[in-house]
Amino acid sequence: MALLEVENLEIAVSSKGKLLPIVQGVSFDVDDNETLGIVGESGCGKSLTSLAIMGLLGGTTVRITNGNIRFEGVDLLTLPEKDRRTIMGNRMAMIFQEPMTSLNPVYRIGDQIIENLRQHENLSYAKARDRAVELLTLVRIPNPGERVDSFPHQLSGGQRQRVMIAMALSCDPKLLIADEPTTALDVTVQKEVLDLMADLQKRMGTAIVLISHDLGVIAETCDKIAVMYRGRVAEAASTADLFTELAHPYTRGLLNSIPFVDRDIEWLEAIPGRVPTLEEELTGCAFHPRCALATDLCSLIVPDTSQFKPGHAVQCHFPGKVTS
Amino acid sequence: MNAVNFLRATFKGRKLATVGFIWLCLIALAAIAAPLIAPFDPLEIDPVGRLAKPGWPNLFGTDHFGRDTFSRAIYGARMTVIIGMGSVIVALVAGGAVGMLSAYFTRLGHFLMRGVDVLMAFPALLMALVLITLLERSVYNTILVIGIVYATTTARILYGMTLKLKGEVFVDAAICSGAGHNSILFRHILPNLVSPLLVQASFIFAFAQLQAAALDFLGLGLPPEVPSWGNMLSEERIYITRAPWLLIYPGMLIVLSVFSMNLVGDALRDSIDPRFKDDIAGV
Repeated sequence: MALLEVENLEIAVSSKGKLLPIVQGVSFDVDDNETLGIVGESGCGKSLTSLAIMGLLGGTTVRITNGNIRFEGVDLLTLPEKDRRTIMGNRMAMIFQEPMTSLNPVYRIGDQIIENLRQHENLSYAKARDRAVELLTLVRIPNPGERVDSFPHQLSGGQRQRVMIAMALSCDPKLLIADEPTTALDVTVQKEVLDLMADLQKRMGTAIVLISHDLGVIAETCDKIAVMYRGRVAEAASTADLFTELAHPYTRGLLNSIPFVDRDIEWLEAIPGRVPTLEEELTGCAFHPRCALATDLCSLIVPDTSQFKPGHAVQCHFPGKVTS
Repeated sequence: MNAVNFLRATFKGRKLATVGFIWLCLIALAAIAAPLIAPFDPLEIDPVGRLAKPGWPNLFGTDHFGRDTFSRAIYGARMTVIIGMGSVIVALVAGGAVGMLSAYFTRLGHFLMRGVDVLMAFPALLMALVLITLLERSVYNTILVIGIVYATTTARILYGMTLKLKGEVFVDAAICSGAGHNSILFRHILPNLVSPLLVQASFIFAFAQLQAAALDFLGLGLPPEVPSWGNMLSEERIYITRAPWLLIYPGMLIVLSVFSMNLVGDALRDSIDPRFKDDIAGV
């Protein structure tokens, strides 16, 4: 049994009385001490998937219409709210994209960490404060003893993201979901934060789900990768397998559109066209209007998930036919 | 940021608001120490010395019962503060609760906020008049009625702000850390609403004075024997030609106090609102 199992997840948005599916048939699992990267462009449903796992799709417009999410064997979707709250922030935690707004501006950062600690663990204020200073040291905040009394606006973006990481790690979670944790940070800080996460994972054995649109970040930090396109997992494999042999033309397109410093090319290849909007009726494979290899079959029938190689799943009628 | 620094920052370069603040401090002092300051019992009747001109020992003259107007004005300050604070508390607690809960529990909000809309459709004074005629004249009922009138606007303002805060990432982060509804509402959202509440309180305090004076004047506010500025105006209005000072003093007190409260409210809003705050804008 894997730590986190997502099975056939379907999320739909209701618009003008119609239910439009935005995430369809997404399945993956994450084991202890493993990092799963979910990659895809804006609107492919990667963030929604993470919000669904954390139970943040409380609204009436966007809701889960099918599927299972199991954490340590417990189905999170049918779990009563009260029991769910004992898991959240404790065995499972999340880091958000915007470090600027994810801390409450009216509380000192120490108090925010302390509150999370005391919510889940029976600790005195003084003990919790010591833990908070320890955690700030762990995430390499300079002068943690003083910084614990700072307000969020007194910290830089990178420091705030570290505080968020400290907060998320405060109760030694088994699973950490990081939704584009480095997107709002500049490149050097980005590297520091990613290194920090990898380091902490090594030390604590936390499983991480890293969501990003940056294939480079994902390739460097993850054990396995799920590439999402328009609400579906186009291709999923271990990082090594995925990059040795690409099975899906979309992944190829993503790779081709990354500029490399050491490659001298005239033109950067881009995937032609754009992601079809939700309202657009689309038959067949969601990628076929943009795919160079598309045939009539692609425009008529949605491809099933097939095993291209053992442990290398792909949703394509012609897996592996991609050329660079 | 301690209180002295805050006051200094708020009133720096605002002479008029500073004067208003000092004036309000004097009113507060008069309210607290009324028995020590007032030279006479505000209820003591002296038929011989009625309608005396301002002078000594009756600084503001005497009214048609021979009561000392200065002493009544001092005790009136006490009523001003009680009515103001009471109305602010009622308005903020009731309006705040309705606004926050409506925004947080959207479905409940559909019902509650439509109720607020209906109440807001009535002119403030008309609504106060309707409510007060259903109840009897007393200090508590006056506070209650004025509080309810201003609870509607407070509810509207807090509704909007809570809706906005509810969408902030730190609220999502709180949910993710396992916080329940109570914790999110009172520990994460409410502290962010303190500044707008404070500003709202200062304006309600000022408007409550006008409402209270208007109710008193119409004979529907405080019971007539209670010395309040509004009651003084109401009782003595027929003497406006014979003894104009009976109206000028309480009238001036009301005008000056309300004006001061508005000035202080403006200053508070400017110093609390981050858009006017230079230490957040950096540089």
